[in-house]
Amino acid sequence: MNQEMKFKNIVAQYSNVAPEEITNNMRFREDLGFSSLDFMSFLGELEDTFDIELEESEVMKIVTIGEALELLDNFQ
Amino acid sequence: MRDYYPLTAAQKMHHNWIRDYGTQQVSGVSVVASVQAELDFGLLKKCIQMETERSGCTRVHFTKPDQDGNVKQYIVKQDTRDIELKDLSKMENLAKADELMQQWAYETFDGDNIPMCEFTMLKLPEGYNGFFVHMDHRLIDSCGLVIMIGDLFQLYTYYRYGTAHPQELADFETVLKKDLAKAGNEKRFAKDKKFWEDQLDALGEPLYSDIQGPSVLEIARKRHGNPKLRSADIEMDNLFVAVKDYHLEPGPTQNLIDFCMNHQLSMTNLLLLGIRTYLSKVNNGQEDITIQNFISRRSTHEEWTSGGSRTIMFPCRTVISSETDFLSAAYEIQNIQNRIYMHSNYDPELIMEELRKRYHTPEHTSYESFYLTYQPMPVKVENEMLGVVRQHAKWFANGAATKKIYLTVSHTEDGGMNFSYHYQTAHLEEHDMELLYYYMMRILFKGIAEPDMSLGEIMEQV
Repeated sequence: MNQEMKFKNIVAQYSNVAPEEITNNMRFREDLGFSSLDFMSFLGELEDTFDIELEESEVMKIVTIGEALELLDNFQ
Repeated sequence: MRDYYPLTAAQKMHHNWIRDYGTQQVSGVSVVASVQAELDFGLLKKCIQMETERSGCTRVHFTKPDQDGNVKQYIVKQDTRDIELKDLSKMENLAKADELMQQWAYETFDGDNIPMCEFTMLKLPEGYNGFFVHMDHRLIDSCGLVIMIGDLFQLYTYYRYGTAHPQELADFETVLKKDLAKAGNEKRFAKDKKFWEDQLDALGEPLYSDIQGPSVLEIARKRHGNPKLRSADIEMDNLFVAVKDYHLEPGPTQNLIDFCMNHQLSMTNLLLLGIRTYLSKVNNGQEDITIQNFISRRSTHEEWTSGGSRTIMFPCRTVISSETDFLSAAYEIQNIQNRIYMHSNYDPELIMEELRKRYHTPEHTSYESFYLTYQPMPVKVENEMLGVVRQHAKWFANGAATKKIYLTVSHTEDGGMNFSYHYQTAHLEEHDMELLYYYMMRILFKGIAEPDMSLGEIMEQV
């Protein structure tokens, strides 16, 4: 499974949207129904899954799936 | 071969209260769920038995405590007990039946290796029928209980009326194993530990604040012979708690919701700001305020549907100058709360341990007097068949609070909000709650009306 699909599978666990229906312009809060707690827990899971360390000040600016994927790509 | 598991951090929180206060009563949770309709009690019994199969957390037992008071948990395969039916329908009214159930809520599960969950089917006055469930909070939290009750009613209407079968629930044991594995992740643990310790490095020892003003800390300072003491004594003997509820009407509630929506704030953070501003006001403008905030750690589908006790409290500490405007203060709280969410896998007992190590905090003292739970979920059972039927659902206090004031804020069916203050009667009276609610509302509504106004001005004007 590639990184993007792995990422979307995690997103799907937190929302009612299937991984294949998740698009880059979807917003975590407004379109996928993430609460602040959901979003922060999700980021923690990203860190554990991809073995990365996110900058808290950076991640607070993330609004869309595309932005989160871009951030993830930067670690590669 | 039976599998034994240690307690999770959330379970440990309740377990430590039981150990420290010497009674399981502090960990009791009880609810009645009923509908104003005839029920087939034979079928309801079957559904309750099926629910105990579906919800693994209802079958959790605890081992005998070891020499340090620690227990392990295990899940029994089946609960073969009968479900009793009690007929209270001849009682004068529902309120009288509630009084009786309140007494049941004070009862304790005493012993090791025993069930910690009990269902009783009920015929109630005024044509209501349903069941009472009494559990230990180490098995389930309030969100979990709401979901379990909804699931049970869905099972009932599926078999009785052919409605949709409830969706499968996540397996409690599987999720428990995942949680324990997550807690054992060394990298994650180190990050969480660093976050909490960095906060102490930056801010130093917290400072107690009380709704009764600075005299409470002064008394503790005298008692401990330490004029610089920053924590105050907690009640260890008389744990009796009274409850005072206030209803905020739909109109003003909507104003609070709109303010949150328009400024991308969560209601929890707005409430925390209201509480901390009141505490600051009655403590001579104290800027360093800590409130214990309960977080229901349910985000994924698995977490939502696996039952269990996932609610855990963390200290929300903010140092905010009285010159800060209301909206900026709200964002400061939101910022710290978001960071807390990211580190909420940590065991809060370790934060307290670190405080004790650094500052030699005396035993049975605390830096916090106020505990908040914001409950966005309705207690009402959502069910297509029951949608039109009148319901009576009620939470019963376990009667023994480990906390001086515990505020639960929830949304009501009419679009309003309920502010339920549980307060220790050893120190507080109903009048204190009246003042608290009155000023909390004045602060919140002044703040949302004039978000550029400084906290100092708001404190002066309300």
